Parts: sequence; structure tokens; C-alpha cells
Amino acid sequence: MSHDGHHSVVIPAPGPEFVPHTVAHHFDTPVQEFQAAKLGFWLFLATEILLFGGLFAAYFYYHETYAETFRVGGQQLDWQLGAVNTTVLLLSSWTMAMGVRSAQTSQKGKTLLFLGLTVLGALIFLGIKYVEYSAKNQHGLIVFSHLFDGYDQANKQLPWFQDYGGVMKDVPHGHLFFAIYLTMTAIHGLHVVIGAGLIIWVMKGAAKGRFHAGYFLPVDLVGLYWHLVDLIWIFLFPLLYLVP
Amino acid sequence: MTAHAHSDHHSHGALQMGHHHVSSSQQFLSVLVALLVLTGITVGASRIDFGSANMLIAMAIACIKASLVIAFFMHVKWDTAINKIVFLSSFLFLALLFLFTLVDLTTRRWDSYVNTIRTPVDHGWVQPAPKPDAHH
Repeated sequence: MSHDGHHSVVIPAPGPEFVPHTVAHHFDTPVQEFQAAKLGFWLFLATEILLFGGLFAAYFYYHETYAETFRVGGQQLDWQLGAVNTTVLLLSSWTMAMGVRSAQTSQKGKTLLFLGLTVLGALIFLGIKYVEYSAKNQHGLIVFSHLFDGYDQANKQLPWFQDYGGVMKDVPHGHLFFAIYLTMTAIHGLHVVIGAGLIIWVMKGAAKGRFHAGYFLPVDLVGLYWHLVDLIWIFLFPLLYLVP
Repeated sequence: MTAHAHSDHHSHGALQMGHHHVSSSQQFLSVLVALLVLTGITVGASRIDFGSANMLIAMAIACIKASLVIAFFMHVKWDTAINKIVFLSSFLFLALLFLFTLVDLTTRRWDSYVNTIRTPVDHGWVQPAPKPDAHH
């Protein structure tokens, strides 16, 4: 074993299309390596839940306080696009689960296929999100395009307050709904981008045959990250698009 | 090496990451179908006006969907006890955050015009004292 500090544990490749995995020298066994990484990743995911949890708390607080604002705000969003994106993410979560399963069962081709489909799902999601953001920007509901405008001396206001447009001008604290919408969906969207990047990264490893029944840890962890992205959206869709 | 490994305390994982439960494709497909059906129910339920129950219904369905994703897609059902505790405890702390936010929400006197400017006299809870010049 590796207790002498000279030899590392090697997990043999199950076939010619795979490569063996060398357990990192600071771990005694593959099980220890797997469990340590997995525990660390679950801790990270717990912090992710708390990150989004704070935003959800803000949502519920203002939803209860300015119900009318949220009702009108939700009507400005296209629920059909939201439903399509929900379906896309659920499907991509399924392809991700199948990708992990393919790696666990040493099916290299299927692993690459399912991971590729998951990236495709991420791209479709981001494409639809771009269409939505563009429309909201045109209607003056998103003020990012004015973020770097200077202070308006004449009106004694920052431009993104006075330019705030559309029907949200007529409801109390109309900026709140789209501020929360943009913050939550943008941070979620950032996770989609990072998740897609991570999947492409494990695809490179999968193409080299690094992942098989003996070693599939990176695929497993990236899969967990991707499912978390799906998990958050499961709550975002009804709260933002179908405002109860 | 193999013979040595089998006598070792960690023998079952000497050559692999250990024994892992691998879910069947059929199970993943069933979970996917359930998630899509529940999404449809979410949209359908939002079209009907249940008053304040709409929020509860939407969140209940979302929680069922989330549980399916966590248990099956994220494989938590077959994960180790420590990993379950670590991940699921985040929801416990989330519940604490929501609980105290809710307490604040239901007990706060809003600093709106109505609540800050109106006095007990305005409310009609007390009668104003008679004016001194009434005697002249």
C-alpha cells in the first residue's frame, strides 16, 4: 500500500480504451479519496443552498409586503419561455444522471454522449435566457444597460432609477420585483455557465478514458453541481414566472 | 498485492473506489417523467385561484420535485450518513432563516404613513382633551 510514502495505489483500467487512475499520494485508499472529495463537495453544496436561501428569503419577504408588485411583475415575464427552460433543465439533469451512470458502468461512448447532451441543454437554457433578458431590457425593466451611466445632475438621480420603465412604474416599489428577478436568475445563470464549463472539462477527461467503473469521481461531483442548478430552478420557475 | 489487500482493513476498496449503488436507467426515466408531470401540475395549479393557498401549493409541488432530484438524481438516498447529514442540515439552517424572517414579517409595524402619523386620537381610541378657551 502507500503507507511507506513511495508507492501510490493504482486503480487498473477496465479496458484498452481507459487509463488507470493513480490515487493521490496523501490518501491511503481509493475509498478514502472518494469519500473525502465527496464530503467536501457536499459541504460546498450546502453553502450554495444557503447562498440561494438568502435570496429566497428576500423574495418571500417582499412578496408578502408588496404582493401587488410581485403579481404585476410576474405577469411581465413570459411563463411559456420559463416552462420551456424548466423542461430543458429537467431533461439536462436526466442526461447528467445518465452520464454519471454511463461512467460508473464503463461506457465511454455513452458517457460522452450524455455529457454532451447536458451541455447542449445548458446552451439552450442560456439562449432562451438571453432572449428574455433582451426583451426585458427593451421594456426598461432591466437597468443593467445604464449601470455605468454617470450621475444625472439635472434630475439629481442615478439614471437607472429614472429610466425605470413600463408598467412597474405604477405599482409600489416597482423596482423590487425585477431587482430580485435579475439577481436570482443572473446568479443562477452564472451557475449554468460554470456548470457547462465543468461538464466540458470532465468530457475532456472522459474522452481520454480517465473515467470508468473504478474511478468516476469528477463526473459524479460535476453531476451533483449540475443537479443543484436544476434544484434551484425548480423553485425559481413557479416563484418568478407564475407568482403565486 | 491482491492477497495483501484482502487481509487489509480497507480491503474492499483496494482496487476500486468501493462498492457503489448504480441506479437503473428505468428508475432515472421514471423520475424524469414524474418531474415533467409535476411541472405541468405546477403550471395548471397556478391558473386556478386558490387565494393564499396558491403559494403553498406551488411550494409543496416544488418541494416534491426537489426531493426527487436530491434522492435519485443526486443519489443521496444511497449516500453515506455523514454526507446526508451535511447536505440536509443546510435545509435545517435555511428553515431557521425563514422562520426568523417570518417572525419579523408578521410582527413588524410598517413604517408607512398610516402607521406612523396616525395617533390614538386619529384612531378614535381616546377623546381629545377639551380646549381651555371653551370656558370664555
